[in-house]
Amino acid sequence: MNYYSFLLKNAFEDFKRNKTRTILASLGITIGVFSVVMLIALGIGLKNYIRQQFENMGSNLVMIMPGNDLSEGGFSSFGSSLATGIRFDERDLNTISRVDNIDYVVPIFMKSMVVTSLEKEELASLMGTNEDLFKLMDLKAVEGRILEGQDISSRSKDVVLGISIAEKLFDDAGNAIGKTVRLGNQRFKVIGVVEKMGDPEMDGGIFMSYKTTFGSINPDKNFFTIYVGVDSEGAIEGVKSDIEEALLKRYEEDEFSVSEQSELLDVVNQIFGMINSVLVAIGSISLIVGGIGIMNIMYANVTERTKEIGIRRAIGATKKDILVQFVAESVLLSGLGGIMGLVASALIVLVVRPFFPVALNFLAVFAAIGISSFIGVFFGVFPARRAANLTPIEAIRYE
Amino acid sequence: MIKLKNVDKTYWLGEEKVEALKSVNIEIKDKDYVGILGSSGSGKSTLMHIIGLLDQPTSGAVYLFDKDTSKLNDSEISSLRNENIGFVFQQFNLIEKFSVLENVMLPAQYAKNKLSFNPREYALELLERFGIEDRANFYPNKISGGQQQRTAIARALIMKPKLILADEPTGNIDSKTGDEIMKLLESLNKDLGVTIVVVTHESEVAERTKRKIYVKDGVIVDKY
Repeated sequence: MNYYSFLLKNAFEDFKRNKTRTILASLGITIGVFSVVMLIALGIGLKNYIRQQFENMGSNLVMIMPGNDLSEGGFSSFGSSLATGIRFDERDLNTISRVDNIDYVVPIFMKSMVVTSLEKEELASLMGTNEDLFKLMDLKAVEGRILEGQDISSRSKDVVLGISIAEKLFDDAGNAIGKTVRLGNQRFKVIGVVEKMGDPEMDGGIFMSYKTTFGSINPDKNFFTIYVGVDSEGAIEGVKSDIEEALLKRYEEDEFSVSEQSELLDVVNQIFGMINSVLVAIGSISLIVGGIGIMNIMYANVTERTKEIGIRRAIGATKKDILVQFVAESVLLSGLGGIMGLVASALIVLVVRPFFPVALNFLAVFAAIGISSFIGVFFGVFPARRAANLTPIEAIRYE
Repeated sequence: MIKLKNVDKTYWLGEEKVEALKSVNIEIKDKDYVGILGSSGSGKSTLMHIIGLLDQPTSGAVYLFDKDTSKLNDSEISSLRNENIGFVFQQFNLIEKFSVLENVMLPAQYAKNKLSFNPREYALELLERFGIEDRANFYPNKISGGQQQRTAIARALIMKPKLILADEPTGNIDSKTGDEIMKLLESLNKDLGVTIVVVTHESEVAERTKRKIYVKDGVIVDKY
């Protein structure tokens, strides 16, 4: 038996004798590691989810939104300007259409509305848009057809449903075609159902011509957002500045923003980076609390085993031997807790993964194990030093 | 082998100053078999602890194996204890969570130099010599007091020390077993040439030693 297996055996013997205490002491670390790893996994999941949503919208996308430029104003201006800023209208659509190198100009009007079929009533997000939305997002119909140019210009009363709202209202996407849905006091005919997009808002969406919404649904005839599909990546910068120039004739500089997808993604990444750090900081508190739990147990351990320490010293253990023994036990205790926390979070990640793109981050895993071992050393050293510094005879006599 | 020069030991029990040893001078030669006698509280145990480097004198010098122990650091002192001194206590002081064999082998785990023998084999040999080889895998609380003390003696011998310090080795066992333990110590001295120092208050125990040192109130009152 070499020195290290001897230390391990010592530690495990001790854990075996105090099973409950060992488990309770490690539990603090388990919870700490679990919360840190889980929070990071969820943070990554959220980020992945949002990136997927952006990727669904296709590349070479330029977004025109009310409010300050994202990259300058940052996140704080984002929400407030959406709520209180300007709205775009058909005149803006025409202005933007005249810019070169543009494939599509897609207006988006959105409104949450109650939609009813014969028997059912559901909340849906109504989207007033044009036929190019489907091209921009590369959306295909699974049943029926998508909206076409003539549906838009003729203010047709035909609608296309997202897959989930179609299933909710008609049980099956195939059933929906040709059926009538009611929105407010108007009736619409379902002509198509589009494939699953993964975004609940889009999958629960009802798409119709933006012109059709003009009236009781959208009395001001305006849009929240205009998406522009640029014909090539190299043209994005030029298109952005051309659009800005065109819109500046009508609006002030801080009333709208023209941004490309990557900029928005940057802002989102930045936000989630920050949220992640905050979450990790919160999780770390439980790690520290867990560490204090370990220290507490190790102090009790030292007190309880003072006589044993004395015996070991008498037969030749150095102060360092005792110190190493107790630190090793403490590290093992917190390491065990750390591994349990890791296993628990890995299991949860596996279970949640099919529904939400959570991911175990290797950095988080190593950090969790590293931190829990460090906690073991840090919080184990104080009790271990006390153990080591007892004179042998004081320790042996301790009852 | 052991030399104490003007050793004083005082400690405080709350407000009260206790002078456990007062200018003690003794010399114990190699292969000697010495009894330290005295009533309870006389300071004889303190004396043994100082000889065994379990405790430090307040003043005076302790020479062990021709080394001035005040000049040694913790790891040197620990090595000295580990390799050269075996302790036998009244309370046996076995570690409850280890088996008899593991207890006997424990000092070998702390050896800093490579051992010239296999500790496991030697431990089993010692247990056999003491007639408790069938108890090797028992835990201390499952064997008798006599067997525990034999285990403790085997542990004291595992490193082949030059010196055995025994503090009331028969204090917690019946007289018949005590007699056997004393015979064992005698044979270690006679056959293996191990120096033995026995601290006791029992005159029957002291009868068996070659030399006796009497301690009273922290002072050596008689030596012969």
